[in-house]
Amino acid sequence: MDTDRRLKDTSLIMFAINLAIIVFYGTICPVTTYRICRSLQAYEFLSAAKTIPQNPLMMPLGAFLQFGLLIAVSMRKRRKDDGDPFLAGMVCVVEIFLCIGIVWSLNFYYSGIALLVLADLINYIRDNKARVLLLVVLIIIFALGRYEVVSSQSGKVAFSVYLSYYNSRIQGYLSAIESVLISSNILLFVYYMVQLFTGQMAEKERIRTLYDQLKKANAELERMTAIRERNRLAREIHDTLGHTLTGIIMASEASLALFEKQPEEARKRLEAVTGAARDGLNDVRQSIRALRPDTLEKHSLEQALHEMVAKFEAATSVKVEFRQEAGDLYFARDEEDALYRIVQECLTNAVRHGQADHILLTIRQQENALLIDIRDNGKGAADMKEGFGLRHMRERLDLLSGSMTYGNRKEDPEDGQEGFYVIASLPVRQIKGGN
Amino acid sequence: MDKTEKNIGWFVIIMTVLIMLWGTVDLKQRQTVTLHVGVYAGSYWDSPNGDCYRILDRVIERFESEHEGVKVEYVSGIGSQDYSEWLTEQILLAKEPDVYFVLPDDFDLLATSGALAPLDSMIREDASFDTEAYYEPCLSAGKRGGIQYALPQESVPTIMIVNKTLLASAGIPMPSADWTWEDCLSICRKVTETIPGAYSVYDYSWPTALYANDAALFSERGDYCNLTDSNIREAIRYVQKLEELNDGHIVTSRDFDLGNVVFRPFLYSEYRMYQPFPWRVKKYTNFEWDGLPMPAGPKGDNVSLLRTMLMGMSARTNHPQLSWEFMKLLCYDEEIQQDLYTYSRGISPLTAVAEDSNIVSLLQEDIPGTTEFNADVIRRIMTSAVEMYRFPGCERALMMAENGVREEADSDSSRGDGLLSLQREINEYLSKTK
Repeated sequence: MDTDRRLKDTSLIMFAINLAIIVFYGTICPVTTYRICRSLQAYEFLSAAKTIPQNPLMMPLGAFLQFGLLIAVSMRKRRKDDGDPFLAGMVCVVEIFLCIGIVWSLNFYYSGIALLVLADLINYIRDNKARVLLLVVLIIIFALGRYEVVSSQSGKVAFSVYLSYYNSRIQGYLSAIESVLISSNILLFVYYMVQLFTGQMAEKERIRTLYDQLKKANAELERMTAIRERNRLAREIHDTLGHTLTGIIMASEASLALFEKQPEEARKRLEAVTGAARDGLNDVRQSIRALRPDTLEKHSLEQALHEMVAKFEAATSVKVEFRQEAGDLYFARDEEDALYRIVQECLTNAVRHGQADHILLTIRQQENALLIDIRDNGKGAADMKEGFGLRHMRERLDLLSGSMTYGNRKEDPEDGQEGFYVIASLPVRQIKGGN
Repeated sequence: MDKTEKNIGWFVIIMTVLIMLWGTVDLKQRQTVTLHVGVYAGSYWDSPNGDCYRILDRVIERFESEHEGVKVEYVSGIGSQDYSEWLTEQILLAKEPDVYFVLPDDFDLLATSGALAPLDSMIREDASFDTEAYYEPCLSAGKRGGIQYALPQESVPTIMIVNKTLLASAGIPMPSADWTWEDCLSICRKVTETIPGAYSVYDYSWPTALYANDAALFSERGDYCNLTDSNIREAIRYVQKLEELNDGHIVTSRDFDLGNVVFRPFLYSEYRMYQPFPWRVKKYTNFEWDGLPMPAGPKGDNVSLLRTMLMGMSARTNHPQLSWEFMKLLCYDEEIQQDLYTYSRGISPLTAVAEDSNIVSLLQEDIPGTTEFNADVIRRIMTSAVEMYRFPGCERALMMAENGVREEADSDSSRGDGLLSLQREINEYLSKTK
């Protein structure tokens, strides 16, 4: 991200500025000490300082060493951020101690190093509570680590005592350098924080936009689901009610025709009609309740198919020859549903459109596919126009990655007889006990 | 953390431990420890001293024989004028000696700046050391804020020199050691009345006199000035009375050298310097003289001003125990302290040495004729003496006071508020030096 790069650059410049400040103090103090000794002003200096200074070389040595360690810790942290909270805590503690150590080494002349450490850590720590704690600790170090605050306890020589060795012109230059360095560090820190927070606000804005898009997509998905469900319901109604009603109409017509000559046969047919109507009603209820065929709910697929065929024969007096050559049939519920409905639809079509009186239903396995072959001896189709029923069969199969072919049997070179055929192919996901 | 980083981490830890171990082992096994001593050349007491390192060399020789593996070193050739600058330079560069002489004027700065190590715990733990052995004023010269920072090595009080020849020709007997301002004034009056061309006192100012009247011009730390204190006013008036006897003549040291002045305060070291044979003849040829304690004021005692050479230990020394032993040998050992009388001209701060009958009689042998300066006089001076002011800015403040009082006297105003405004002025200056 752009903000990340800018933050990194800012913190790099801050490191450079702080190094310059350490070089500044670490040079002025020892150099001034040696000059004082050379010009025989040591007694005067000690009288003004009122406290003995530390070894003049200790300041640059201690400060540089600790600053080097700080850079090392900071670099390592940047290079490998494995999100381990213990390690992150350790890094924070180490950096804070180094910060205090540097402030101490520099005789409390400069506490801005706390801002550098704060800028370095605030983006690294993600937990908000820890961030606040870090902010408080380092701001306290920044505010209290000043010579003016701790001078009475520290036993350190004030920087102004070193400066007072020089004439006013040089004092002016040195003070100017000092204040420019210190204020640029503060300005950079402010810039860093502004960058950090505007960056976070942009991030929040981006998240909000994404969330809006997600909400829209979700609404669209819901609408699509509703449409699909509606289609499915339509199919369901067509499959169940259409099938049953067709059977009832045909059976009633047959009854009407038989009424005069064979009243007993007509009565039987009417009884079958009543049964079929009742089953249809159940099916409809079932569809409404679970949208699942009742027979399948109670029986295995094979049994359900047998029952359907028996009922169909009873209701329509069409002879259905059922050959089950695929071994035991175990399918997932959606596959069972689809198979059941396809068979149901084909039987219905054969009577409704082809006026067939013999249907051959074969279920067999071919390689990794289950084939449902349905052939009637009806009049076939003059113009192949895929109606509602066929389309829904295809849709069902598509959902299960299956396929379907259909046509007049005459056009099938291996068959050549009168009638219509449908072959539905379903990839086998799971057939237990099949060969 | 990957493998190389772990290895580096272990390496750093092991190296640190090794370095620390090496440091302790090294300290224990190192055969010779070098103790650095800071010392000035010549005498601090304005009296030439031909063999300034003699005492130190003897101490070092004894110390090295008593402490095997210890070597004591010092930088020679630093005059007492340059010593303060040299010492502070070493402190600034953190190279100061382990043990060093502390000039009376430097003590306050070195103690307050933290250059000197407090000695209280050393004193407490050392069963062979007893502070009672010292004269109290000498010991407290090394104290600041109730903490002992240095041991007294040699003291020099101010005593009063009497022109015995003048006294004799006026028919006045030598005053006793417990004489008073009144005695002094009546002697001066008598001498100046009977002998023409004789003067009362030289160099006896009210700041020197006031100690004998139970007064102090400044507080111990130099926070404020007591110029308007009634005892001080008394001292000012008293010295004015003495000077009035000179009829407006400004007495000089030449007047004293010619034998025309009755009294003159002298450093004890100068007294000892000029008393024995070769110097005595060269300096004061035409009169007999002797020393006395300072005359006591109506409110006070025969109190002298005291200057004490001190010895302190650096707060940053690596060998505090050895440093302490060395200091003790130089400042507490009676044998070494007796050498003071051979090689230097101060008074030992140890009561047993200063009042030792052998030493006192040895001193008296140096002086031709009779002398009143016996062990009792020494005790009288040393037990009641007061250390000179040493706080920063004390010289300037003292000068302001003396000049102010002189102007006040010249202006002839009898109103007392002149001193009050002077006191205010001095206090203002003192608060600025803090």
